[in-house]
Amino acid sequence: MGSRNQILEKIKSNKPELLDLPNIDISLFEENLDLIKEFTKKVEVVGGNIVTANSNEDIIHQIEKIFPDSKVKFSNLENTQSFNTINLATLHKPHDLENLDLLVLESKLAVAENGSIWVSDNEIPVRVLPFIVQHLVLVLSAKDIVPYMHQAYDKLSNLDSDFGVFIAGPSKTADIEQSLVIGAHGALSLTIFLKE
Amino acid sequence: MKVGLFIPCYINQLYPQVGIATIELLEKLNVDVGYPSGQTCCGQPMANSGFEYESNGACSNFVENFKDFDYIVTPSGSCAYHVKKHYDIIPQTEEVIKVRNNVYELCDFILNILKIKDLGASFPYKIGVHKSCHGLRGLRLGSCSEVVGKQYSYIEELLQEVKGVELMPLSRTDECCGFGGTFAVTEEAISVKMGKDKIQDHLDSGVEVITATDTSCLMHLEGLINRNKQPLKVLHIAEILNSNL
Amino acid sequence: MSHSKLASIFNKDEKRVDWHDKALWFVRHKRDKSVHNVKGWEELRNLGHGIKAHMLSNLDNYLIQFEENAKKNGVEVHWAANDEEHNKLIVDILKENNAKKIVKSKSMLTEECHLNPFLEANDIEVIDTDLGERIVQLAKERPSHIVLPAIHKNRHEVDELFQEHLGTKPCDGDPQYLTGEARKHLREKFISADAAITGVNFAIAETGGFVVCTNEGNADMGAHLAPVHIACMGVEKIIPKQEHLGVFLRLLARSATGQPITTYSSHFKKPRKGTKMHIIIVDNGRSEQLSRPDFRASLHCIRCGACMNTCPIYRRSGGHSYDATIPGPIGSILSPGKDLKKYSTLPFASTLCGSCSDVCPVKIDIHSQLYKWRQIITKETPQPFIKKQSMKAMGKIFANPSQFEIVGKIARWSLRNLPKAVINSKPNAWGKARDLPLGPKQSFDEWFKERENEKKS
Ligand code: SF4
Repeated sequence: MGSRNQILEKIKSNKPELLDLPNIDISLFEENLDLIKEFTKKVEVVGGNIVTANSNEDIIHQIEKIFPDSKVKFSNLENTQSFNTINLATLHKPHDLENLDLLVLESKLAVAENGSIWVSDNEIPVRVLPFIVQHLVLVLSAKDIVPYMHQAYDKLSNLDSDFGVFIAGPSKTADIEQSLVIGAHGALSLTIFLKE
Repeated sequence: MKVGLFIPCYINQLYPQVGIATIELLEKLNVDVGYPSGQTCCGQPMANSGFEYESNGACSNFVENFKDFDYIVTPSGSCAYHVKKHYDIIPQTEEVIKVRNNVYELCDFILNILKIKDLGASFPYKIGVHKSCHGLRGLRLGSCSEVVGKQYSYIEELLQEVKGVELMPLSRTDECCGFGGTFAVTEEAISVKMGKDKIQDHLDSGVEVITATDTSCLMHLEGLINRNKQPLKVLHIAEILNSNL
Repeated sequence: MSHSKLASIFNKDEKRVDWHDKALWFVRHKRDKSVHNVKGWEELRNLGHGIKAHMLSNLDNYLIQFEENAKKNGVEVHWAANDEEHNKLIVDILKENNAKKIVKSKSMLTEECHLNPFLEANDIEVIDTDLGERIVQLAKERPSHIVLPAIHKNRHEVDELFQEHLGTKPCDGDPQYLTGEARKHLREKFISADAAITGVNFAIAETGGFVVCTNEGNADMGAHLAPVHIACMGVEKIIPKQEHLGVFLRLLARSATGQPITTYSSHFKKPRKGTKMHIIIVDNGRSEQLSRPDFRASLHCIRCGACMNTCPIYRRSGGHSYDATIPGPIGSILSPGKDLKKYSTLPFASTLCGSCSDVCPVKIDIHSQLYKWRQIITKETPQPFIKKQSMKAMGKIFANPSQFEIVGKIARWSLRNLPKAVINSKPNAWGKARDLPLGPKQSFDEWFKERENEKKS
């Protein structure tokens, strides 16, 4: 517990009089975005690739063309069991995923203004999956794109999860002289399949 | 409308031509200008150095001299800003409040109170505008590159009407020149470097004359230009608006 | 050493200053391009400001609410009054879990508490996993920027550092190769870590969850692999509700680097099965700062670094010249609250140009606070006798018109008549690189009087 009460007491006596909590008026930001267009543009800005697809079979087919050399693969798409080379049920510790080449996940929420996609415990049986994998593939329905973060949190308020992450593009860094390098500690690439 | 002219201390002593241009310009525009003889300094040099409490006398003297005018006009965004923003250290009498509300930087006054744009001036040179920070971000005499919104600039609006003026674009439109009052001395290395970079930006753009709403910035830049013998002149905006070349 | 001393040392190498200035200006420029495309950006900043101000005015209650919810989520919550307690709490947790190898993602708070040397003194290996932080860790330096910790290092220096410590091949500073090598090196560390420490960007009172933002994925690689996750947060990281993240995540990355959002915005709530999650809530001077009406808004800071990128002084003096955990404008208003004397030169390392306040996503009036700290510092810390006396004299002269006239006359006469060498000589810092104006014969006052007299006659 440490110095809990002492800290709280000090804050209580030092804080100013109660100020109002402002309301978020979303209409201030509305600009009638073409959601698919904006999302596609922002995915490119954050370094992801975007591909259209019409069915899960089509997606798997395309993936095998894009990543012909991947050996260790896992997908949570419906009817894609034959794609998987590993069984998460028998996984002892997340560290064993170190050699995972390809991960395919379905997501239910994406944000047009920044190209990010929500992935949570509900989609990923093991939290480290989308980070430790070499190449990440996310599958999304166009109808699940919202314009701004405000609407995203609106949706999330009904989707409880123990862990969740907005992912925008592959991992990256510019820590060496400000030159952008794609592929830091997380995934080296991000491909998004958009089902219209 | 009675207008009191405030000539900042360093202009009074070191750049009287700026004061002269200002009063001539205002008189040309048929403004009834008074110049109270007891004025000294707005108090800014002490206050910005952290000695606000030594500047009470200067503040009171300022108010005493200007309390009877409808407007107080000064060729310095910085001084106008100081009166508006920092005169809370003296008791807020009606007079003090009135003075604080009615003090204007010259361009602001001409454009927004007199509502005149074309001053009939002519000045056939390539001009680089230095947007002095206190005028820009303090008095909002123009939009600054940080803030999102409508683009505007009082000084440029006036310059656009001056015959022969060619406004040259800068690569960094509103970076500080590095003067900063005592900063120029206490942080000499950075101050000089900032000034040099600023001048280079103007040179790269083909500027012949740098102008600004504040002589203090210009004094700093001029000091560097003269020391390094660079092909540039500095003129206060009042001098350009009062020109007929 | 004072800021101006350290800055003038940095300025001995002008090429390097130019390089540093341009690198950061580039980031500021990216920020501009990004935010000028957001409709309602200024309203968003107002919201950011308003939510933080409200939060501070009810902070104790939000902290209690946060703690309650975090506990419900199965997270252990600890409180530290200061750096010492923070460090001790962490070592205790680590010892309890027999943790010897730690990976840590970016956290300015743990920098502030000097956690690394403390862990090392306790025989615990701690590896900073953010690439920039790893670079400065290997170089035995401190971060010079809160978002770009190694911005002061060029690629060749990183190349040499990696050759020495990671055994890489010489690569003429190829960032792609160097980053790839760092990835390999740090993957090993992630896989073998016994515990992960992360910072916290936002802690949500309503849910007891917290959000950590990174581009590299290092916080997640650490936290999701190690059996113990310790998240350290200052008390001011609280936000009331989850929906407020919508405001702050829109502001943060755009202000920091111009990205529309960081690559990963990770929302932690419950520990994963079979592992432990701890949160350490730290005061360390924050409640003190809260008591100062003029300075409490400094606690709004979301550590985006924009005020550093925009600051013309920071860009030309380097982060280390501030000699503080948090450099740049925000550091210059936070640090004096901790040690007025030690940091007494920082509020003067500014021209009060105001760019920092206009760029700040949560609208902290940084330059006004710099001005206010100056007023306090001159009263409460010893000032050079000369400075004090000259200010006093100036105050008297300016309060008295007739004295002003005489002094002005003398000054102008000197400028005109003394040789340049005298005017620009040593104690005069103005004249080292700049000429003084030529003193005119007549002041404006004199000209005006003459004109009045002519009019009359
Ligand atoms: S003070 Fe404002 S601009 Fe500076 S780091 Fe904090 S949030 Fe960003």
